[in-house]
Amino acid sequence: MIDIEHVTKRYGSKTILHDISFNVNKGEIVGFLGPNGAGKTTTMRMIAGFTAATSGMVRVAGFDMANENQLAAEHIGYLPEQPPLYDVLDVTDYLTFVARAKRIPAAQRPSQLDRVIHACRLESVTRKEIYKLSKGFRQRVGLAQALLGNPDVLLLDEPTAGLDPGQIQETREVIREVGKDHAVLLSTHILPEVTLICQRVAIINHGRILATGSPQGLQRAAEETSSVLLEASGDPEQLKRALSDTDGVTAVNLRPVASRAGLYSIDCQVDAQEQVESRIARAVITCGELFRLERQQPTLENVFLRYIGHTNEHSSGASA
Amino acid sequence: MNAWIGLKAVYDKEMLTYFRSPIAYFVIAVFLLGTGYFFTYNIFLTGVGTMDQTLQNMGILLITLSPVLTMRLFSAEYNGRTMELLMTLPLRTWQVVLGKYLGAVSMLLLMTAASCINLIPLYLYGNPQTLNILAGYIGFILLGMACISIGQFFSALTENQIVAALITIPTLLGFWFVGHLQSLQSSLLLRDLLAHLSFALHYADFIHGLLRSEAIVYFLVVAAIALTLNNSYLQWRR
Repeated sequence: MIDIEHVTKRYGSKTILHDISFNVNKGEIVGFLGPNGAGKTTTMRMIAGFTAATSGMVRVAGFDMANENQLAAEHIGYLPEQPPLYDVLDVTDYLTFVARAKRIPAAQRPSQLDRVIHACRLESVTRKEIYKLSKGFRQRVGLAQALLGNPDVLLLDEPTAGLDPGQIQETREVIREVGKDHAVLLSTHILPEVTLICQRVAIINHGRILATGSPQGLQRAAEETSSVLLEASGDPEQLKRALSDTDGVTAVNLRPVASRAGLYSIDCQVDAQEQVESRIARAVITCGELFRLERQQPTLENVFLRYIGHTNEHSSGASA
Repeated sequence: MNAWIGLKAVYDKEMLTYFRSPIAYFVIAVFLLGTGYFFTYNIFLTGVGTMDQTLQNMGILLITLSPVLTMRLFSAEYNGRTMELLMTLPLRTWQVVLGKYLGAVSMLLLMTAASCINLIPLYLYGNPQTLNILAGYIGFILLGMACISIGQFFSALTENQIVAALITIPTLLGFWFVGHLQSLQSSLLLRDLLAHLSFALHYADFIHGLLRSEAIVYFLVVAAIALTLNNSYLQWRR
């Protein structure tokens, strides 16, 4: 449903996207993962037809976005990064406007409105002016707008940003539901989001697609790049040796805690092995006291590096 | 038929927006206060029962007030990030441009209709020339249509409403006063050109009760040019 081939986008002399290619099929939720400023929003805008590509081909539902974007628009539901809402209108008036602009026949409008209002759990605010709504509701009104008309392609730019955990859960349910028979591209900078609801992931950084693949691989890379942070006392040399010898620890970084003499803050890089925390704890106890131990979430950047390392190994292995 | 649906959707959205924000009420109130003042002043000062001077004053008032009406048309869409919605819905840019324009023109018609309240005492106590007044009002609406199209175009150029208003007002004033440069020119050709460009001179025809096709076409052409520029600019922005 979405095909992007060798697309480059330049603003003046600045290149935002470098020759990116990927695709999204019907019945598939693809996660578009990258840190802030990686080019996610620009890509989304290009697929939605808000901006044009400098070079390359963007096709949505079979239409070339360069000159058939009006035709493609009927097949696209788009939730921009900031939900595009008219603050002075109430929710029903706003959704009615979008429904009419999407040329939903008058007879079908009430049922369509009911459907998206129900799906996004907006029943309690249908007659409230949008400026009075909380951020979570605003986000969901934006999502409801995108779902109107049951478009084949759904573009969601950070759909769960700014929501509280309960709302995130509900929004993910909605997305998973529509993902069954639509093509969904969902951008995010939150790693677990991708592994939870996406079948495939495209990783973008600095305007380049680094890799596309399964979220499971990404999950593994994330686990492998995680680290365990602990605070312990004892002889630093002994601690370091004991930890380095522990099965599953790949690197140890030790430095004294400034506020308390004799206490060390230790950062252990670990790979995916299970129960590495308990082995680390045991190792520390042999030569000192353990004060604190916690598993750290890896940064996206580190996961990317790890993940790309993996894919390269795979592809070189396959060719050999 | 399909084209009409999209246009109507934008138009209705515009009308809802006008009446749920204070700007429309403000503009109408100031306009009515202004026309009421000019009317009373002119009638009681001269004792002549015509609308000539009042319509003249209404023209200037419209030039300074219409930018307040038009400044938000596109600037607010950029600012509220809703332009992204308008440009990605299955709407053509001309539907957006025309829907917004017709919305603003409806506000103009409403203002004009409301200002007709001044005519009641005129007809009660005087003996005005109906055709003259009618021509004057037609001219007023045409002038307003030209002003709105220019204001709307400038609003599409900036996401700051104040900036949009601040470039529209001098532009409109320029069009209004350009005829006065005539007396400084000796070249007949130039004098002619300046006269043809002037809002004030064309508008004066209507006030004097003349419905000249050149004046009618002039205002409509100005509006058409501004709306076309507006449309092309939005397409180019992609």
